[in-house]
Amino acid sequence: MAGLSLSAQARTQFAAIARVRWQILFNSLQTMRGRLEMVSRLIVAFWFAGGGLGGAAGLAVASWYFFSHDQGEWLALILWIIFLFWQLFPVVATAFTETFDSSNLLRFPLTYRSYFMVRLVYGSLDPSTALGSLWLSGIWVGITIANKRLLIPTGLALLVFALLNIVLARMIFAWAERWLAQRKTREIMGIVFFLIIISFQFIGPITGRLLGRRHPNVTQFGRIIVPIERALPPGVAASALVNFSRSDAIGGLTSLGVLCVYAIAFLLLLNMRIRAQYRGENLSEAPAAMGRPRGVLGGTKGAIPVRAAWNLPFISGPVAAIFEKETRYLSRSGPMLFTLIMPLVILLIFRVSPSKSGAGNLLGNASNLAFPIGAAYALLMLTNLIYNNFGAEGVGVQFLFVAPVRFREIVRAKNLVHATILALEMLLVWIAASIMYQPPALEYTAATIAAVLFAAPVNMAVGNLLSIYTPKKFDFGTFGRQRAATTTAFASLGVQACVIALGGATFVVGYSLHRLWISTALLLVLAAIAFICYNLVLNRIDRIALNHRETLIAELSKA
Amino acid sequence: MDAPAITTEGLTRTFGQLVAVKDVNLRVASGQFFGFLGPNGAGKSTTIKMLTGLLAPSAGRIEILGLDLLQSSVEVKRQIGVVPEGMALFGRLTGAEYLNFVGRMYGLDSQTAARRTAELLEFMQLDDQSKKLVTDYSHGMQKKLALAAAVIHGPRILFLDEPFEGVDAIASGTLKAMLQRMITRGATIFLTSHVLEIVERLCSHVAIIHRGELVAQGSLEELRAGVAAQAAAPPQNSGTVGLAVAPGEKLTLEEIFLRIVGGSRLAEQELSWLG
Repeated sequence: MAGLSLSAQARTQFAAIARVRWQILFNSLQTMRGRLEMVSRLIVAFWFAGGGLGGAAGLAVASWYFFSHDQGEWLALILWIIFLFWQLFPVVATAFTETFDSSNLLRFPLTYRSYFMVRLVYGSLDPSTALGSLWLSGIWVGITIANKRLLIPTGLALLVFALLNIVLARMIFAWAERWLAQRKTREIMGIVFFLIIISFQFIGPITGRLLGRRHPNVTQFGRIIVPIERALPPGVAASALVNFSRSDAIGGLTSLGVLCVYAIAFLLLLNMRIRAQYRGENLSEAPAAMGRPRGVLGGTKGAIPVRAAWNLPFISGPVAAIFEKETRYLSRSGPMLFTLIMPLVILLIFRVSPSKSGAGNLLGNASNLAFPIGAAYALLMLTNLIYNNFGAEGVGVQFLFVAPVRFREIVRAKNLVHATILALEMLLVWIAASIMYQPPALEYTAATIAAVLFAAPVNMAVGNLLSIYTPKKFDFGTFGRQRAATTTAFASLGVQACVIALGGATFVVGYSLHRLWISTALLLVLAAIAFICYNLVLNRIDRIALNHRETLIAELSKA
Repeated sequence: MDAPAITTEGLTRTFGQLVAVKDVNLRVASGQFFGFLGPNGAGKSTTIKMLTGLLAPSAGRIEILGLDLLQSSVEVKRQIGVVPEGMALFGRLTGAEYLNFVGRMYGLDSQTAARRTAELLEFMQLDDQSKKLVTDYSHGMQKKLALAAAVIHGPRILFLDEPFEGVDAIASGTLKAMLQRMITRGATIFLTSHVLEIVERLCSHVAIIHRGELVAQGSLEELRAGVAAQAAAPPQNSGTVGLAVAPGEKLTLEEIFLRIVGGSRLAEQELSWLG
């Protein structure tokens, strides 16, 4: 097991790694793209700092209140939220975090202890650790103000809880990396992950519905769930704090001991994984065996059956080829494919969520809004693809520049795939809305279609530009590297805000005049303008792509 | 008379202050098996990238089969095949799907693309792996697939950047035979490789680039004659050794290369602390 003290050589290596990370950051500022990325990251950092400090202040007040009024048990809820955030945020918000791949350090003469520490320390330099630590500090301050006597014992308990979170997050990352290293396990993991995420969405609505009805099983459910909650790390940490506050030193120390056992268990599991990596475990895709040697040169018969490529009506061969390729890529990416069912899931969540009155569903009488909401969500889900068109190409992007096809045809083919998916999704959403609620009224259907006709070309036009200006490689083999650049994420948020504001304004106009066709008409005018803008971008995309081909190729060909 | 397959005039590429390729004037006749050599960082890959449209020149002109690359890029690309440095494969397609895709991108109809895909997979001994994703292929198999993709449309010029790197001896033999057959059928091949024995065996003409500048160009015999003439002249650099060429001595390409780019080192340049 790795200890905390490091030799002089290890300290030198730590310093060298810190220096190289600084140099990489500094060098990235030499390009405009790098500078934009840095500005985006600074904005994100300000957000995080605001959330961290504001949250810490709020939690300090809440903790002070709970411990001043002997209601420390409520802290368990807060610790659970912090715990879940700490563990899930790095996975969910990959667009706003930077992961450090330390596995390539193995070629250097690092001792196992140094390697372990590098993985643990540098891996922990992420927003979730910073925010989690700040929030726990806030709780500590609040408790101490309520009772100065608790300064040391609660500080100790919260410190162990923080360390446990850091180790657990690293452990989850390390094991997830292991499972994501092979394509098949990666796809299974992706689907499991999304199922978990989707399941989380249902917790609130279902709980609300059960509580709203005062279901007799709720009490029974509570009896089962509470002991489990108390046995898990956030519950144990809360118990330690409460016991210390009630001068139950033995109870507090016992809970602290259990927390330490958890932390050590996670540390051992992390150690197991990192040791395997340190010993040279190859996490990359296993290469296939070479073709059987035949000793025959040339003389082919074309005996193996090869299915012909797709022929699509009214579409040229190259565009059909790109269309087929994009469809195949999408069908082989479980997580990406899974995001496409999210609009239907959202409608289902709305359906099972109780209304404010506790009866019916969340949309209540406004069930006509199910279709617009589902359609908007469908478009939102596609943005990851639309704004990073070439992310999945990898080194293959070179082929797009040597092929005798204009870049605008390639981009058009990609947009055609996205538009087809969007159309299919909207059809599914319409059917789902009809089944779950009621068939959307014709005027709502027309207005929604008009809104999508406006929003889609706007997103595609901006997405096409950003796909070239700020590309980001999707690395299917490394955890947390299936994302667009931070600059792109910001820009897409800005575009969505503008589109929603404009679209929303037209809806308000039509709704307030009780003539929704006015909204439809306005949206169609906006759609026509958006389509003209889209075409203007498409007409210039050849030149733009050629001017930026070096950046595009270099970024997407990165190892 | 046919237009030269490849002509460059004053081809230059700078990266900031660095001049990676400087005023290169290449002329490759149709039907030649042309080797493009140079030490690491000499500008080989930069040149081949410019010739294939992957990189814009800072100055100069490129003509492929008599067509200006900048003006008629699509027409030029239709007639060339490329195996670039990174192989340009799409990892999440199967081998068969990838070749089919490339064929369609080069304008083949779907039936022809499928037929040629089957033939190429068999020829490259990849037919038993045709349903495996490209990302699951070994490096050598990927190289063979990249080469298959580069020839699926029957290009008149083939640009190959290190085509034999990572390919086993059996496959290497297959590829060499295929390339020779293409030459006999009138195609032009422009190849870069660090394995000088391969270049010497395959190529009829060679150009050597050093520090971004073209320092030699011609047939192997012309290069040999040039080096012999240079060796006969009074030595310019007394520090280098081994420049003399004995009468009747037939220099290998490696020897020619080393003499041209100054591969000999002074004894005192050795790293005294090493071993």
